[in-house]
Amino acid sequence: MPYQLENRPPDLRESMYFPEIIRGIGTITKHFLKNLFFSRDANPDILARKRGGFGHSDNVTLQYPEERAPYAPAYRGLHRLVPREDGKPRCVACYMCATICPAQCIYIEAAEYPDDPVEKYPAKFVIDELRCIVCGFCVEACPKDAIRMDSGEHTPPSYERSAQIWDEKRLLRGPPVSYQYDPWLRRGSPSIPPDKLEEMRARAKPFPTVATDEASQTPGFSVRALAAEAKDRAQAARK
Amino acid sequence: MNRFFGMLLVIAATLAGLVLLSAGFYLAAGWLGWGFNALTGWISGSPGVSRAAVYYGASVANVVTLLLVVLMISSSLLTVAERKWSALIQNRIGANRIKVFGSALGGIPFLAADALKMLTKERIETTGRTRVLYELAPMLAFAPVFALFAIIPVGQGIELNQIPGLAGAAAAGAVEQIALQVSRTDTGLLYLFAIASLQVYGTALAGWASNNKLALLGGVRASSQMISYEVSLGLSLVGTMIAYRTLRLEEMVVAQGTPVLGPVPALGLLLQPIGFLIFFASAFAETKRAPFDLPEGESEIVGYFVEYSGMKFGLLFLAEFAEIVVLAGVITAVFLGGWHPILFEGWLRQNLTPFWFAAVGAGAFIAKMIVMMWLQLTIRWLLPRFRFDQIQKLCWKLLLPAALVNVFVTGGALLLDPSGQLLAWIGILTIVVIAVLTAAVGRAPAPAAGHGAAHAAAGH
Repeated sequence: MPYQLENRPPDLRESMYFPEIIRGIGTITKHFLKNLFFSRDANPDILARKRGGFGHSDNVTLQYPEERAPYAPAYRGLHRLVPREDGKPRCVACYMCATICPAQCIYIEAAEYPDDPVEKYPAKFVIDELRCIVCGFCVEACPKDAIRMDSGEHTPPSYERSAQIWDEKRLLRGPPVSYQYDPWLRRGSPSIPPDKLEEMRARAKPFPTVATDEASQTPGFSVRALAAEAKDRAQAARK
Repeated sequence: MNRFFGMLLVIAATLAGLVLLSAGFYLAAGWLGWGFNALTGWISGSPGVSRAAVYYGASVANVVTLLLVVLMISSSLLTVAERKWSALIQNRIGANRIKVFGSALGGIPFLAADALKMLTKERIETTGRTRVLYELAPMLAFAPVFALFAIIPVGQGIELNQIPGLAGAAAAGAVEQIALQVSRTDTGLLYLFAIASLQVYGTALAGWASNNKLALLGGVRASSQMISYEVSLGLSLVGTMIAYRTLRLEEMVVAQGTPVLGPVPALGLLLQPIGFLIFFASAFAETKRAPFDLPEGESEIVGYFVEYSGMKFGLLFLAEFAEIVVLAGVITAVFLGGWHPILFEGWLRQNLTPFWFAAVGAGAFIAKMIVMMWLQLTIRWLLPRFRFDQIQKLCWKLLLPAALVNVFVTGGALLLDPSGQLLAWIGILTIVVIAVLTAAVGRAPAPAAGHGAAHAAAGH
């Protein structure tokens, strides 16, 4: 919180320097001794770290390669094309994401399944990760929940720019998702074998109304697990 | 809590190690002194005890143990300590990426990495430099510091036959006492002032011989700053000379062990608190470190050493840390009671052999030195640097008059009461006044974070 300091010349005590310096040494020594004698809380979540009180150092350092701060549930990571249970993309090549993308980094070529007269699929689905501004509009625009940024990963670095052009083969990954309202589940599809269809219907669930449910499906990342951990921590602290 | 007990253990082990180290130093001094005596006796063909031979032999041993071990090791460790301690002050971890068997060992392995880097770096030499002076400057910066440590009385004198293994060597009083002090000169503090004033040549020449405007500016700033502060440095110690009636540092230390007010010993800090503050500030300015680091300034002039690279820069850099060690040694000897372990001193003196009491004393001296080094590094991380005019104003308008007043007050008090009790009371009064001034709240505290404060913020 910035506040205005009165601009006045130093009084006698301040112009003697020594009293103020001794006070400063006291403040610094407090930090020094606390950090010398007490260890860091190992919790990598800096905001949740115990510090400052007696028995804990004031240290805020995160030893990066070994310790990593967990990302927030809303973290927008690398895109993925969400697969169906049968391994095909949920995407129906409607161009919504390519249309809303302010950086125009999504390129889609639509195609039709040879045995299914209704459904389309993306023959090509290319995202130029170098142009992507990570705004997340594509995820918002998608009517089929077919593109997500829930991977919790950064775009991996590469030596060639061409390696940053991600096509549908690399984008299609992560856990499959099925919803009860999915049209291919309700009406069936010739491209899906009947027993597979039954399995997909069995695993389909209602569309989520709570935002955190989606994030909880991120591989390697779970809001529920985090919440449980925080609860455990709080309970341990109360004891 | 594990770290808490570990740290207590480390501190206890360090103290015990210092005592054992000092015992080793005494052994080295005693044995080398006696060996030197035997050697000269064998060469000259006249067996017997020679005062000078024992003294010279002990001095040679002390050069090795005190100058090369205590001074050099601690000043090189300070380069690591500066990083590690500043990290502790600023709530960081500090240098810890070099690991030996999985342990960072408090960052100490960085010492080896630094030395390797300095020694293997490319030497870049400017064409316009004045060759002789350019090469001479790092040596001139380093040598006086080294010479200064020669008169620091790290350990008290004990008789030669009190050292283990030398019981039958020479009767007490037959030869010079063995002390952990390279040179016991009558000139004492005068030698200190003389050598300390040589320090300015290293920096001034480094700036001048580099043929670089910025380096020259750094050198000129260094000269004006160091020459100014030499005046208050000298005057601040005049009070202690009057109080202890001697110039010799070892006699000052002995005098500080005598009780003056009941059981309270006549520490320099007690008799001369103002002298201590002035000496500390002036000597801090002599070390050219923050807040007095005007000779170097990365944002304006780079510094007097801008044209130096590799180990030549390393020597200039190490000289500053060696100055810290020497300053810590002088303050310990003159103001903090030197080798007197203050606490439990009578009990220790009664229950230990003279040899081990001396070793404990020398360990206490080094421990006090470490505290003073820590204090200097703390102040370096506490304060922003002064402006140049503020530096001169602080010296000529504050420190110098205060030092002069201190000299007259000390002289007057001792004239009225030669036992020093009046001086001690004046010292206690001064300390109380400083403590009250420190505790009193000066500036108004920051306004409470509320709506009013938000309105005061710029741009609101």
